[in-house]
Amino acid sequence: MHERSLIRSLLRQVGQIVVAEGGGQVTEIRVQVGDLSGVEPLLFQMAFDDMVPALFSSDCRLALEMVPVTAVCSECKHQFEIVDFQFRCPKCQTNLVQVIQGDEVKLISVSINSNNSIEGVAS
Amino acid sequence: MNQRTIVVQRDVQSDQKADAAAERERLGRRGTLVVNLLSSPGAGKTTLLEATARHFADRRSIAVLVGDLETDRDAQRLSPLMPVAQLTTGGACHLELPLVQRGLKALGDPEVDFLFIENVGNLVCPASHDLAEHLRIVLISTTEGDDKPGKYPKMFRTSQAMVITKLDLLPHVPFSVEAVTEDAHRIQPQLKVLTNCALNGSGIENWCNFLEEQHQQQLAIYHEPAGNR
Repeated sequence: MHERSLIRSLLRQVGQIVVAEGGGQVTEIRVQVGDLSGVEPLLFQMAFDDMVPALFSSDCRLALEMVPVTAVCSECKHQFEIVDFQFRCPKCQTNLVQVIQGDEVKLISVSINSNNSIEGVAS
Repeated sequence: MNQRTIVVQRDVQSDQKADAAAERERLGRRGTLVVNLLSSPGAGKTTLLEATARHFADRRSIAVLVGDLETDRDAQRLSPLMPVAQLTTGGACHLELPLVQRGLKALGDPEVDFLFIENVGNLVCPASHDLAEHLRIVLISTTEGDDKPGKYPKMFRTSQAMVITKLDLLPHVPFSVEAVTEDAHRIQPQLKVLTNCALNGSGIENWCNFLEEQHQQQLAIYHEPAGNR
């Protein structure tokens, strides 16, 4: 059940952002989960529901978006979606392909309710 | 009260990946190749390590960190052959870098040629954690069935080599080396495939030669002028 370990990392990152933003109440955490990330969305959601109240609030929502695995062909530079884990370029049939999206869990954005009104982008 | 959305766009594991990269560089610079061994329980990781230690004998120095949920049985088996630290994870289904670093410290951070990490037996979760390894090896035994790569794609996708173990049992089990290789190559075309039987020693020399090659290739980067990296 490594989803719990990922949620722990996610909530730690969110915590750092809240501090950098001068505090406030976290209302939504948007996350992208790639098909090659090894994460089961239902278990991820359950781990989140379990762990979020201790740090933020049980009203804090997880917005989860599944992302397909995208690769680029090293030979002909064609960009395509990997289906059924077939790591082969559909255009030139080479198997020298590089995954460019879909193998990670990514924190996309954090929504905060607070008393200050500065718009910000965290790097 | 106002609501703001802060755009982050950051890998959730970015901190852990950065820590792992730093540790990989630290160990690589001093000539230690870190090898992460992953497989189902009972695929033969400990037996392969025993055979590896016997083959290298005094020519190469090795140490091992062993991950299990409970007991130090594997550590007891390996301790006559090499420095070993048992990492008991309790309920955790995989190892993470802080555990590895703790184990390394317990061993006195030895300057060995090869540091093996024998991961918790599991084809799922260990695939998602970078333990500062230079080389990730997945073992599959002939008794497990040759349909595993397609069922556990991430593990095979993220490995550099697949070692097929217990080759002596091939006449007795429905397992095809060609089928498992084809299935694995569909997921990871660059995967190097090796076969052996650690009990009778066949294929062990080939395996150890592969480790030697990797030691030379993977660590060469740390001796190049910075501009070439």
